[in-house]
Amino acid sequence: MTDRNTMLKQISETSFLLDDMRLYLDTHPLDENAMEQYGDYQEKRRQLLKEYAEQFEPLTCDCIRPEKSGSGRTITEYPGRKHWTWSDGPIPWDLEANACATMKGGR
Amino acid sequence: MWTYEKRLQFPVHITRTNPKTASLIISQFGGPDGELAASMRYLSQRYSMPCKEVGGLLTDIGTEELAHLEMICAIIFQLTKNLTAEEAKTAGFDAYYIDHTTALWPTAAAGVPFNACEFQSKGDAITDLTEDLAAEQKARTTYDNLIRVIDDTEVLAPLRFLRQREIVHFQRFGEALEKIKDSLDAKNFYYFNPEFDKQFVKA
Repeated sequence: MTDRNTMLKQISETSFLLDDMRLYLDTHPLDENAMEQYGDYQEKRRQLLKEYAEQFEPLTCDCIRPEKSGSGRTITEYPGRKHWTWSDGPIPWDLEANACATMKGGR
Repeated sequence: MWTYEKRLQFPVHITRTNPKTASLIISQFGGPDGELAASMRYLSQRYSMPCKEVGGLLTDIGTEELAHLEMICAIIFQLTKNLTAEEAKTAGFDAYYIDHTTALWPTAAAGVPFNACEFQSKGDAITDLTEDLAAEQKARTTYDNLIRVIDDTEVLAPLRFLRQREIVHFQRFGEALEKIKDSLDAKNFYYFNPEFDKQFVKA
């Protein structure tokens, strides 16, 4: 099991790569090499978001699983109870959600 | 439509309270070249853009600007989170504190509230894209100015990220402008409005 900040850092880096490539492809729509890379990283991001939601809490509305009650590793006000998990986890603009900024090393 | 993703585009982790720095950075929230104006500029201009690929680029950059607005607000929020009454008296932040305490409200560093006149949506593709190019450069200059006067490395990291994005957006808008020009007659690029005088635009 990977720790929360390591996973968040991976999600952040992979998502940013896609953000940047999306703008590039908007103005270079025939670059097949870039499209192939986009597809690879898109799959990586999808997998990371799914794993993160399973271990902690959903980051996107598509990752919300209302039939599940949330894992034991999530930050929640309703531990051990079936509950709506969209508000679990740290607030995105708070320090706790951004601790991966203090981690060393690149990808 | 939009959906929310519960994370910042680039992490903001600031542990030292500094209302003075917050009072300067708030310009990139509600100031003349701030992220709110940037997002509203692109998202307003896109509807009448004659080339749908350029309309798509405006949507994607306008969306990223919303993520930047969120980062700027996170910086200000963290810089003032544990503010004491004594620190609230800091010159530059004191007047803001009286009206908004430590809530986020879009204003320029000089105290001018956010105003839609900060940006244009002119309905002429060449006019609007030229404004967008200038806007990215003006925002980059503002980040340069902030980076020059701020020395907290925790604040500088996200500011440097945001500055780099202005440069990338400038590049993409430059490419978009070339694309619009490709659909026009090279003899008279600046002769008419490609959004309105559609008979002059190649299919």
